[in-house]
Amino acid sequence: MHDLIDRSSPPKSTANRVQRASTKKRRKPLALFVLPIVLVVLGVGLLLFMGGGTDAIPIIGDVGPDDSVPAFDFKTKKAVGIATVAGFDKEALEASAVRVGVEITPAIDELFTNAFLDPSNWREGDYEEVFEAFAPISVASAQRSVEAITLGTTAGDLFEDVEPDKGSLEYRVLFDEEGNPETAVVRYRFYATAERKDGTYLGIVSHGQLFLSDIDGWRITAFDFIRADREAEPPVTTGATGASGGTATSGASGSS
Amino acid sequence: MTAAAVRRRAALLAAFLVAWVAGSVLGAGEHETAGANPLFQIEPAHAEFVPTLNSDEPIFVLVIGSDARPDQEVNSQRADSLHIVALNPAAGKATVVGIPRDSYVPIPDYGMNKINAALAMGGPELVVRTIEELTGITMDYWAITGFDGFRAMVDQIDGLVVDVPFALNDAAAQAFFEPGVQRLDGDNALALARDRHDLPAGDFGRSENQGLLMVSALAQLRKEFTQDPSRLLDWLGAFTRNAQTTVPLDELVNLAFTGTAIIHKRVVNIVLPGGSGSTGTLSVVQLDQAVLQAISTDLADDGLLKKGNIPPSPNAPLLESE
Repeated sequence: MHDLIDRSSPPKSTANRVQRASTKKRRKPLALFVLPIVLVVLGVGLLLFMGGGTDAIPIIGDVGPDDSVPAFDFKTKKAVGIATVAGFDKEALEASAVRVGVEITPAIDELFTNAFLDPSNWREGDYEEVFEAFAPISVASAQRSVEAITLGTTAGDLFEDVEPDKGSLEYRVLFDEEGNPETAVVRYRFYATAERKDGTYLGIVSHGQLFLSDIDGWRITAFDFIRADREAEPPVTTGATGASGGTATSGASGSS
Repeated sequence: MTAAAVRRRAALLAAFLVAWVAGSVLGAGEHETAGANPLFQIEPAHAEFVPTLNSDEPIFVLVIGSDARPDQEVNSQRADSLHIVALNPAAGKATVVGIPRDSYVPIPDYGMNKINAALAMGGPELVVRTIEELTGITMDYWAITGFDGFRAMVDQIDGLVVDVPFALNDAAAQAFFEPGVQRLDGDNALALARDRHDLPAGDFGRSENQGLLMVSALAQLRKEFTQDPSRLLDWLGAFTRNAQTTVPLDELVNLAFTGTAIIHKRVVNIVLPGGSGSTGTLSVVQLDQAVLQAISTDLADDGLLKKGNIPPSPNAPLLESE
């Protein structure tokens, strides 16, 4: 930098006082030396900030990662009742199936929020809360399958942010001869978008079926979780953000 | 433009260049850091758990087909189809043992008679007692259905896919089949279950075909469950609406899960052998007592049969000709 300036106007002789004064006046633009430094700092800071690197954030200000949990609710598309006695009242059966769906849905919302959306879980790779949704018979198997059921134990190293897109549920409920729900199967589809630390995006796709029984609350007794993630484009920022699960009560929190 | 202005412009340009280069280099450094981490692998992941029973203890279910016609009470007619279904959950295997309906056996409290008469005499419980005394095997559960129930059951699972082993042509049963894999509706499945007039061993062959329908159902349940687990509930609903059983619903769900883990090729389907005879005016089957004893003892142990205890198929002549 100095070389460039010096080469452009090398001094030809020793300067007298006037000349020095004149030179001093001419060298006033030396303040420009400060400008590159300021620009470098600003440039680096800006790039790091826009790149999303968490290391850059403290330089700019003491703004920690956004640990707010995005709001998310599945939308129930269908609930079908299955009778175990002949001559059943079809309308009453369907209404009962809907009621069972209403009972179960909060547990499914919570399961997927804990598994994919709660930053305090995925940043730490700790999903203990997720396994509370499983019955004793299935919990050990679920724990062994943590990578498929959740965002993964290394998600905190990989992702900067995860926002829900949408989710749907379809219920089939088997009722006993007295009309009590014996077993429910929920077919789910869950979509979210995860922003990687390198600024690229991954579409999180999970679908499958869960069998649930009422064991001190609805618990998963059998499961079939399928993950089919895919590369995703950056989300379009139109102002509308968050869950589009239909029954979502509020949008998801913004990305950091 | 003065030299000073040139220098100022050069300095500004240099400053921007330095900022650009430095920012780019440092920015690239950040990408590299992120890139050095193992980025999320995009490949399908699958986690599955099916709560199958895993006990070494076999489970015995007596499956009774009543010849109750529409509007008749299934429990007060004759039991024209009798099968012991033995499941070995730990082995993932099963055995289906057909008992000829005309088997002449002692019926508790009623003396010697055809075994199919026990149902009309004392309902499914008496049939169970009769078979338990005959074989020495304690039945854990029983299940019974009639003509209408069987037909409806098959229709409500959208038909049963059966690999019909040979051509069948029995006008009395309305059974007209070419060999090969085909999806049977309720009427045709019932026809196949009733067909006996064109079988060389008559009711023995029919009993084996009834076992074939059960094995086919098991294969289909497994296939449909793999494709869509919720189909299990459709099967359970179809069964419970059209049959009576002592299996509690929660246990039935467990048995159904266990059934999905059994490969149909690992199911042995046999019929107790015997000879035809008569007693008074009754045309009866005298079971081969030595074979009955050997099969019962073998089956009681683990629900499975050793190869040496598997009798020849009563449909062997037809199977060999195909």
